Amino acid sequence: MRTKIYALILSIFFVLLLCGLGYVQIHRHAKYKVMSEENRLKVIPLMAPRGSILDRNGKDMVKDVLSFDVSIIYSQIKSMDELADILSSVLNVPAEEIKTKIKKSRWRPYSPTVIVEDIGVENGIYLEEIAMDYPALLIDVSAKREYVKGEGGANVLGYLGLINRSEFDRLKHYGYRMNDLVGRGGVEKVYDDYLRGTHGGKQVEVDHRGREIMLLGLKEPVPGKDLYLTIDLDLQEYCDELLEGKRGAIIAMEPDTGAILAMASAPSYDPEIFIDSRRKAEVTDVLKDKKYPLLNRAITGAYPPGSVFKAILATAGLETGVITLYTTFDCMGSIKLGRRTFHCWKKGGHGTQALEEAIKNSCNVYFWRLGSLLGVDNIAEYAEMFGVGKKTGVDLPGEVAGLLPSREWKKKEYKESWYKGETLNYSVGQGYVLCSPLQLCRIMAVFANGGYLVRPYIAASVEGVSLNSPERTRLDISEETLEHVREGLKKVVNDKRGTGMKACQPDVVVAGKTGTAQTSKGKSHGWFAGFAPFDNPKLTVIVFDEYGGKGGYYAAATAGKVFKRSNELGLLKP
Amino acid sequence: MLKEVRGQVDHVLLFAILVIVILGICFIYSATWDPVSAGSGLHTLVVKQMVWVAAGFAMAFLIANIDYLRLVNYAYLIYALNLVALVFLLIFGGESHGARRWINLGPVSLQPSEFMKVTVILVLAAFLGERREKAGSFENFAGAILLILPAALLIFLQPDLGTAFVLVPILFTMLFICGENIKYILSSITIGLASMPLFWMLLKDYQKDRLMVFINPDIDPLGAGYTIIQSKIAIGSGGLFGKGWLNGTQSHLKFLPERHTDFIFSVVGEEWGFVGAFLLVGFYALVIARGIRIIAGSTDVYGRAIAAGIVTLVAFQVFVNISMTIGMMPVVGLPLPAVSYGGSNTVASLICIGFLLSISRRVS
Repeated sequence: MRTKIYALILSIFFVLLLCGLGYVQIHRHAKYKVMSEENRLKVIPLMAPRGSILDRNGKDMVKDVLSFDVSIIYSQIKSMDELADILSSVLNVPAEEIKTKIKKSRWRPYSPTVIVEDIGVENGIYLEEIAMDYPALLIDVSAKREYVKGEGGANVLGYLGLINRSEFDRLKHYGYRMNDLVGRGGVEKVYDDYLRGTHGGKQVEVDHRGREIMLLGLKEPVPGKDLYLTIDLDLQEYCDELLEGKRGAIIAMEPDTGAILAMASAPSYDPEIFIDSRRKAEVTDVLKDKKYPLLNRAITGAYPPGSVFKAILATAGLETGVITLYTTFDCMGSIKLGRRTFHCWKKGGHGTQALEEAIKNSCNVYFWRLGSLLGVDNIAEYAEMFGVGKKTGVDLPGEVAGLLPSREWKKKEYKESWYKGETLNYSVGQGYVLCSPLQLCRIMAVFANGGYLVRPYIAASVEGVSLNSPERTRLDISEETLEHVREGLKKVVNDKRGTGMKACQPDVVVAGKTGTAQTSKGKSHGWFAGFAPFDNPKLTVIVFDEYGGKGGYYAAATAGKVFKRSNELGLLKP
Repeated sequence: MLKEVRGQVDHVLLFAILVIVILGICFIYSATWDPVSAGSGLHTLVVKQMVWVAAGFAMAFLIANIDYLRLVNYAYLIYALNLVALVFLLIFGGESHGARRWINLGPVSLQPSEFMKVTVILVLAAFLGERREKAGSFENFAGAILLILPAALLIFLQPDLGTAFVLVPILFTMLFICGENIKYILSSITIGLASMPLFWMLLKDYQKDRLMVFINPDIDPLGAGYTIIQSKIAIGSGGLFGKGWLNGTQSHLKFLPERHTDFIFSVVGEEWGFVGAFLLVGFYALVIARGIRIIAGSTDVYGRAIAAGIVTLVAFQVFVNISMTIGMMPVVGLPLPAVSYGGSNTVASLICIGFLLSISRRVS
């Protein structure tokens, strides 16, 4: 009897077991089948490498390099001490630190956890070999953007950032993915379409560690295209060095084409901080920095052009016939307008001068008188012709238009009529008028290239196809006028006591104009805009020295160094 | 003593256990099979298991040929030796996976608790058999519990929750079959269930985790719940006919942990499907049915008691092991008798069968 009861109880248990098996294997089979496939099959995105950015000579400026990260799978660890010791000795990280990180991963014992990032190529390859004997160890390889010169040229090159929600919604049809990096500034942003590749992917059978066992399907990623810039890396690097520790900008441009050979802005930043999760604090510092390192001063800042503007005034005077080359004005050190007295920068005055002398001396009184005779409308007309108040159209993001003051502008903006005193300020590049360094650069280029207003550009080609063909407009200025102003600009640098003599070079003739723009904050901005060689100009250079004082000193000297270096680099050869 | 009239061993039982053991070797072969190194001979674990099976059958035939009634005479001695081994383990045993279960003897390591399962059956049979006149007394009931308490405690302290717990149904079944008082049995089961919360407090953290995860494996899919989920996926994805021998993705891509030991049944379920699982369970059922036939037919109380203990031991382990692989019970670490890889399990399981065969020779 008892045996029968016992047999019955056992039968019930066996029936229960078979029911359980039937439920899992037959009733829920479809669900578990899918789960088993999901376990086994993985679609691994193959990230397309981003194209390199190279200078005009094919030197790397930005490129993707391989980055190696160390991951471990906790459940596969045989001896934590041994593993920590090996990693510690290879990576030069204290073993205790590694152990702490390994211990943190014990809550996810079956999935890989990154414990040390970016260990370098040699360590990566070495550990990859070791990993054969340590199943817990995995080396992940990914592409990392490297900015070869660090902070150098950063404002031109730009940086990358994770795509945000709204950008993704807008761009997803163009092959962008969540977690994609997109160009956030500079060339990286403007030419993102070329630089970015098309991601591929592969379907693989994987084991429990996620290691590939068999390849089932593959869509090769298409790498991004390499972008060649007009930049000359040697000159760029030199300009960056000149600005070290300063605030300002330097641009070097081919006057005939508008091709930019160097564009430096200081202070700068290291673009790699934006793509390194360990350097978030540095990003915050950069964003909070009151010196605005992210601002490309060459195009995104507009400042009073100061005396550089006198070149436009001289052109306007000759072209309108208000003056001739021989018209003279007397500079007694100041002029009076109504009850106000305007002082020339030189106490005691420059005496009697004609145009070329006045340019050379940067005589304010001369240009005040000339400006008074021209009137605001003429000045505004010529300033407009030279592109003041209009974007240059350079292929970089964030360019500003500056400000072109005129009678109409004043009425619209201030509901006031134009005052004569304002014309005097306008005449010497003070007051309302604002220009970006790049605008002044192409204004100077007009005198270098025989009267053409060029569109500056920075990207040369992709896969041998030109991205920018030189665009230039012949301004309605006579050869004669250009010649006279050029002579004046030559004297600025080459005559004794010329205001820009610090830019003078022994083996190449430089011409140019200094400028000192007074600011509301006290210290003035220094300017120098010039070109060389005088007879067959190959390079226009502008130096903007933010709050740097008089243009005749640092700015002209700096420009002189740029010309000297350019000459050494062979950039001034006909 | 009964006279020396002994017939043939139970051939059906012998056949069933042979099939089970061979299936076991096949699936250990599959669980350890690596497509990369395939063809370079048998995996060492397969070879080892074959050695264990051979050793186990040698023991089984030895016991089948020595009368079990003679072995009962040594029950207390064997029990004492086994207790000493467990004490030794508790004091000197090296820890592995948070428990002290193995004694290292050079190339092999023994798991005394596996043998203790058989020893407890033997000693209980001896105890209940020699006091058969007092069957139904509280004295017998309490005495039996006190007798095996040291073994249960020593195993629990290792800690090996599953094995310690196996002793409970063995005890109650043997008491039941030997005609002890049902009131005592049922009331102690009730008290046992009521004191569960107290028991919970005695558990180690990982044991609590395992029980919690049993209730909801999704709590921590990559941690403690991982094994259950992967095992269910393996068995569930096997479907009716399975993915085919050596074709299980869950096992060969190593998603399934402990696939040649406690979770060998998941490999069977994945590769041979419901049909294969049914087949294996069916052969276990056959072993158990023959066991019950032996209980019913045994002419002496010793034989009935031993057979009842062994049937319970095998049935309970089969039920708990398979239930945990399909998420019907918590993961307690009980092997599948004679199939899971492991020397102690295999030899102990075959010793059990040896006893059944031995008893079967006295079945009328």
